[in-house]
Amino acid sequence: MNDTSNILHFLWRIVDVIVGGIFIYAGAIKVLDPVQFANDIDNYKILPWTISVGLAFYLPWLEIFCGLALIVRRLYFGGLSILTALVAVFLAATIAAKIRGLDITCGCFGHVSQNWNFPAHLAIDLAILAALLALSFRVVSGNRLQDAV
Amino acid sequence: MKSSLVRQALVLAALAFVPTLVQAIYFGDKVSWRSPVPASEMVTVTHVRAWGENAIWVDARPDNEFARDHVPGALPLNEDRWSELLPQFLAAWSPEKKVVVYCSSEGCNASREVAHRLRKEAQLANVFVLEGGWEEWLKEK
Repeated sequence: MNDTSNILHFLWRIVDVIVGGIFIYAGAIKVLDPVQFANDIDNYKILPWTISVGLAFYLPWLEIFCGLALIVRRLYFGGLSILTALVAVFLAATIAAKIRGLDITCGCFGHVSQNWNFPAHLAIDLAILAALLALSFRVVSGNRLQDAV
Repeated sequence: MKSSLVRQALVLAALAFVPTLVQAIYFGDKVSWRSPVPASEMVTVTHVRAWGENAIWVDARPDNEFARDHVPGALPLNEDRWSELLPQFLAAWSPEKKVVVYCSSEGCNASREVAHRLRKEAQLANVFVLEGGWEEWLKEK
């Protein structure tokens, strides 16, 4: 590896750690108050209450494990794929809720995010999605290069 | 690569189940799987009538709906003007009173949210949600 690729590798690792850290933080906050998170999911009026409660227990742990996968680089692509899917579904649900005129709090980062407005939610989610897609693209293109050699 | 991706995703999904189960058991009595509000925190109109003067009605609907009509003696407290209306509500509240929050109907969420915030942010006990909301009150009137 030359210096440039070393620096690039280091920068990508920073992105891994930041994105992974964001999901660990978001998951940990929700683990502490699953009832509030169940209410936040229920506010979208998409799922029955029982499923909202089940997801309120499950999703935060899934976020934490996937965030850890990005940081420690074990089960990396699996974690990346799950997080990308979660953010994409969440974005779609947020936009759908807005179109349906629902005034929702996303609950993504607990109380920190409760006063965020819709454009702020959207901007942060799109930024996270862009980072996840960039990391995925890097893995896929890296594998293609290896296959080609 | 695809099979490895699926395998990794399944491993992570399975790993997350372990603490989920532990937590669900731990929180078992703190959350109801049937209704967003535990049965012990839901009340009917008949129930509240029996409390008489010991109940404070809280209207969690938007201002225009409150202005159109409301339960006699109810205080407005909605999330749009929470910080403005909360002090007015607290001035009328006393510890021995039971707080009954309602919104427009069975399907609305505002009463649950307001009740939740009263318990959490204002640290009030004895906060209840009216089953069926304003619609039910009209029927029982």
